[in-house]
Amino acid sequence: MTRKSWHLDRRTLLRGAGAAVALPWLECMSGRRNPEPPKRLVVTYFAYGAYMPTGQNGVADADKAHHDWSWWPCRDAGELTFNAATAPFAPLRDHLSYVQGLDHAGGHRLGGHSSGDVFATGADMADTRPKNDISVDQVAAARHGDATRHASLVLGTEGGTGSYGRAKTLSHRGPGRPIPAMHDPREIFDRLFRPYAGRDVAAVREGLRTRRSLLDLVLDQSKSLDRRLGKADQAKLDEYLDTLRAAEQRIERIDRWTHVPLPEVDADALDLDVTAKQPEEYVRSLYDLMHLALRTDLTRFATFMTESEDSVSNHVGNYSNIVLGYTGNTHDIAHKRPEGISGQWELWRARQHAYFLDKLRTTAEGDGNMLDNTVVLWGSAHPHQSHNTQNYPIQVAGGGALGFRHGRLHSFTGSRKVPLANLLLSMLHAVDVPTERFADSTGPLTELRPA
Amino acid sequence: MRAARLQAFRTGCARAALLAVLATHAVGQTGASEAGGSWQQDVAGFLDAHCVRCHGAERSKGDIRLHELVEPARTGDDLATWELVLEMLESGEMPPEDEPQPAAADRARVVAWLRRSLREAALQEAPGEAVATARRLSNFEYHNTMRDLLGIELDLTSKLPEDPTRPYRFNNTAEFLLMGLEHMDRYEDAARRAMASAIVDPTPPEVVRKRQVWGAEARGGMPDPAVMQPDEISPFGNRNRTVANGMQVDHAPQTGAFRIRLKASAILPPGVRELPLRIMLGYTIVGIGAGHTDPAEEVGTIRLSNSVDDPQVFELTGRLENFPYQPEHRYRRGGRIDGALVVIPPHFTVTPVNAYDDGTLNDHPDPLTMPRAVVEWMEFEAPVADVWPPKHHARILFPSPLRDTDPDAYVRAVLERFLPRAFRRPVSAAEVDRFVRIHEIVRQAEGMETLEASMRETLATALISPDFLYRSVTPEGGNVQHDIASRLSYFLWGSMPDDELFELAVAGELDRADVLEAQVERLLDDPRAEDFVEQFTTQWLGLHRLHAVPINLERFPRFLYTIDRGERRGAEVRNRPTVRDAMRAETVAFVHELITQNLSLLEVIDSDFALLNQRLARHYGVEGVHGDAIRRVDVSGHDHLGGVLTQGSILVGTGNGTAPHPVYRAVWLREAILGDEVPPPPADVPALEDSAGEAVAVAASLKEALALHRTKESCNDCHVRLDPWGIPFEEYDATGRFSPRVAPPGTRIPGFDARQGTDLAAYLDSVDRLATVVVEADARVPNGPVVHGVHELKDYLLRERRDDVAENVIRRLLTYALGRELTWRDRPTVDALLARSRQNDHRLRDVIVDICRTELFLGVPPR
Repeated sequence: MTRKSWHLDRRTLLRGAGAAVALPWLECMSGRRNPEPPKRLVVTYFAYGAYMPTGQNGVADADKAHHDWSWWPCRDAGELTFNAATAPFAPLRDHLSYVQGLDHAGGHRLGGHSSGDVFATGADMADTRPKNDISVDQVAAARHGDATRHASLVLGTEGGTGSYGRAKTLSHRGPGRPIPAMHDPREIFDRLFRPYAGRDVAAVREGLRTRRSLLDLVLDQSKSLDRRLGKADQAKLDEYLDTLRAAEQRIERIDRWTHVPLPEVDADALDLDVTAKQPEEYVRSLYDLMHLALRTDLTRFATFMTESEDSVSNHVGNYSNIVLGYTGNTHDIAHKRPEGISGQWELWRARQHAYFLDKLRTTAEGDGNMLDNTVVLWGSAHPHQSHNTQNYPIQVAGGGALGFRHGRLHSFTGSRKVPLANLLLSMLHAVDVPTERFADSTGPLTELRPA
Repeated sequence: MRAARLQAFRTGCARAALLAVLATHAVGQTGASEAGGSWQQDVAGFLDAHCVRCHGAERSKGDIRLHELVEPARTGDDLATWELVLEMLESGEMPPEDEPQPAAADRARVVAWLRRSLREAALQEAPGEAVATARRLSNFEYHNTMRDLLGIELDLTSKLPEDPTRPYRFNNTAEFLLMGLEHMDRYEDAARRAMASAIVDPTPPEVVRKRQVWGAEARGGMPDPAVMQPDEISPFGNRNRTVANGMQVDHAPQTGAFRIRLKASAILPPGVRELPLRIMLGYTIVGIGAGHTDPAEEVGTIRLSNSVDDPQVFELTGRLENFPYQPEHRYRRGGRIDGALVVIPPHFTVTPVNAYDDGTLNDHPDPLTMPRAVVEWMEFEAPVADVWPPKHHARILFPSPLRDTDPDAYVRAVLERFLPRAFRRPVSAAEVDRFVRIHEIVRQAEGMETLEASMRETLATALISPDFLYRSVTPEGGNVQHDIASRLSYFLWGSMPDDELFELAVAGELDRADVLEAQVERLLDDPRAEDFVEQFTTQWLGLHRLHAVPINLERFPRFLYTIDRGERRGAEVRNRPTVRDAMRAETVAFVHELITQNLSLLEVIDSDFALLNQRLARHYGVEGVHGDAIRRVDVSGHDHLGGVLTQGSILVGTGNGTAPHPVYRAVWLREAILGDEVPPPPADVPALEDSAGEAVAVAASLKEALALHRTKESCNDCHVRLDPWGIPFEEYDATGRFSPRVAPPGTRIPGFDARQGTDLAAYLDSVDRLATVVVEADARVPNGPVVHGVHELKDYLLRERRDDVAENVIRRLLTYALGRELTWRDRPTVDALLARSRQNDHRLRDVIVDICRTELFLGVPPR
């Protein structure tokens, strides 16, 4: 069962901005000849909506000239042109689309800042799914997660799950099961690339065997608890038992992957000690790690909450203050929309996201590049007005080799309106999840990804 | 869910319908009754006349369809809706003010009927039925339980996922305390770290000691009175190579207890009685204004009042695990490749910080005029233990000849002692067997050769089992007594029961009313009860916002002590308590005072005392408070203090850093004090500024902007009920100071900029001179009178809303005690508690005792 060491020998060292990678996915994982590049899905989120001075409800005002600092690159549906705020995306023109008029009906009745909770899930948290529901990345991970060492990667700038109405993660395993986002670059790096913490594989496997026996006994102990518990109490205990079973499954999974060598990466080229107090370096460091995880095929499905809604307790909530020198609450920008600051903020956000997309694009893979094999959603759950939860700002990038067609601004307003879930459904189809429905979808979004 | 419906109810109802459409009722059985009203005669007719036009078949505002309801006692499904109807009628919110109002007697009859019917419905169910009592420990409870179980206090929770919080709600709510793989991983890590500290190795580790001297014996000769001496620390620190730079302890251990001793005194200018000296441990804190972000944590604060003629020795202790350890650092001198290699060994630094703050630090007075600490010498020692192995170790791996003569029996004996405490209940032989087996597996693994190692891992396994992580998961034959012990200790301490509670549980005494009452009193008198008060108060009153609002320091340049030069100019100086910390402490201490002194909970609205320290008193403009400790101070009307409403912790958190924000303040008052649920703005409502057009940029006040906002019907539905509660607070500025005068509309107030050469006092004078207009702080309270300012608002609340205020406090306490949201089923208990409270002048400590005696809380009726 051991693989020959030449798998490790064919190292190519890619020294990109801030990351040095050995072993792209081809060599390290597949072991097949002429393997197909992996199909990947990424969802990223920013908070408080975006600056849209000439069309504040997320739909362009036809009477007004397009604004140079609007989040939207151009006013009218059709071929993309770029304004000042979206200039960083101009070189990526043929790799991305903007989509107007999409949103989750399930988020309409959530409060001003709570709709971020359902951005990747489309659940109706106000009514039928008060504890949210499975997110699009986890649907994909449930189907194809076994193909990689990690089923998915969940990142955020704040870390943790947050609470209902103030999620700090985009990913949910199912109702009531938010997946805590990781936010510490070093912890993320170690989880991905140093999972054995310096022990050799034989010792790791031995350890796993011991763990399995221990967990069995803990499970026995848990099961011995009174089965006559009330229904609500039983549900609480089931939550725990499910967790133990998931831990056991993970042992199986880790055990399986100990037979596959880990990708080698050079940690020195990454700044893993950067914190949110240096917003640009920090956000890029998380984007770098996401790129690295995808690049080495440790996972194929990732989410990244670049900003959380109503984040008042830490430096992330003060991004704008640090980056832009704005003296009020970050939240105030969303309400007051001062022109200079708002425009600069959009430009800053665009630069960071374009950095990630460009990194994917400049990483060769198969006959093309990584971006072609990775569909990346970027958006927020409000337009300009922070209490409005309709017509989200939405950008889709990449996935050219997965069937996406780019280079246009699409508008699904008025009678053309369709659920955002349709786009999420198309993203699932693009990564070979042939489901017929996701959340409240009514069908795939064929304008972006023709059938 | 309920909030959403309530919201819809409120907004939906406000608009007048044009047509009265009588809906068909699903009329229940007619039954007259003694205590007011019958369904057919009174209630159905009342609903037809006043409700179903908006909440009926034709229109169903807020998704409320009253015509579909039948009598409460006859169906369980609609009871939550009936509860809502009752709330609306009782509060007078429905029918809306602009609708024809029912006669008071009619309203009262329906209210009485609803109350009775709901109570009857609730009594038909066994208490506690259909609600979860099992729940995971919250992080706060986890921390305390570990502390009391192991006998050492470790910071284990900073790496656990945060517990979900919602404003004005408690993070011990069972429904939201989830468990997943990610939690489990971190629990496992925390349990291992805890056991690594709790069980030590047999050989005592090498003790590291360090002593450094700065005082006269070190420098010799006569000091120059014109400069600060190396043993002095002003609030601004001192020069390099003085005691202000701290003492570096190289190669210190990273686990175990430490002791810091120092000989110190104070140089106090006239009028100052003491100064707080805060001892920090962690990375080296270089200077006060330098661009450092290196972490250090507080070990403790010494209040120095002794003069240099009377230096005294002080001692502080702690656990090294809880402090950031600075790893080895190597660099080339001068940053050049050929520079000499410099190796800074791994170390801790002990740094004394003069935390004196009278609010004038940004004025940069001469340090020699300020209170200064004098530290002659400092000593550090770690690990310290009077005996080896330390007590916390011997409590688990107790000394016994068995260990050598019969190791298996010893392991069993260790488990028989540890598990019942960890699980907070008696443990069966089968359970001990299971952990013996776990130990057998563990000891065969690599690195588990010693008993210490294998027991650490075995006990860590116990600490991830549900019996430890969950509360009230009782095994076969459930143990009522131990369950009560846990309910009491987790409510009042946020921790596991202590030996006395365990003993009473074993004796079967805990459900006796007299024993119960004595125990509640004992628990409340214990210092651990302060944890409960702090948790409860900060969450109930939403104090988390206090530290989150960035204060406009150009407008309020004395509010926080800030760095005055360099790249971090304007940032808060770290490692010192700030006025915000004092504000938080004030509010917690206030509630603590109400509880310990058994004062009326109505003092939350107004009181003739406040809890202040010098910094805070200075901020509020109260004279005669000296020193750093928060203490009770009598206040009168002209202080504009008293109660919680005007405390800085509330007012800062409900401002936006520059100006007060009447909407935030209104939401706070209604949620935290009156117990209403204020819904967030709905999706299709534009933001304040958008709806008011360009108005906010030129409007004279937010009050006017709000008036404009209200002209939009969709906004008005909510804001008409909201804004009036916040307007009276306009007399208090964004830093919580009483400021009844403001600058005239349109005045531009320049920010303070030290670089322009003006001094701070002159700037503040100039701002004061601009404030020539009396702020508008009068508003008509919904369904109430016009109030002018907070003073009259308080009067109104105490006059007309006493029961609402009291019921809210009772409901909050009960919610916290039960660890779940209340439902209609809990109404009889709430009513009974409220009635008792009313007869007892609403004494808060008694309310807590009464809660602990309810069947709802205990799970069984007390004997």
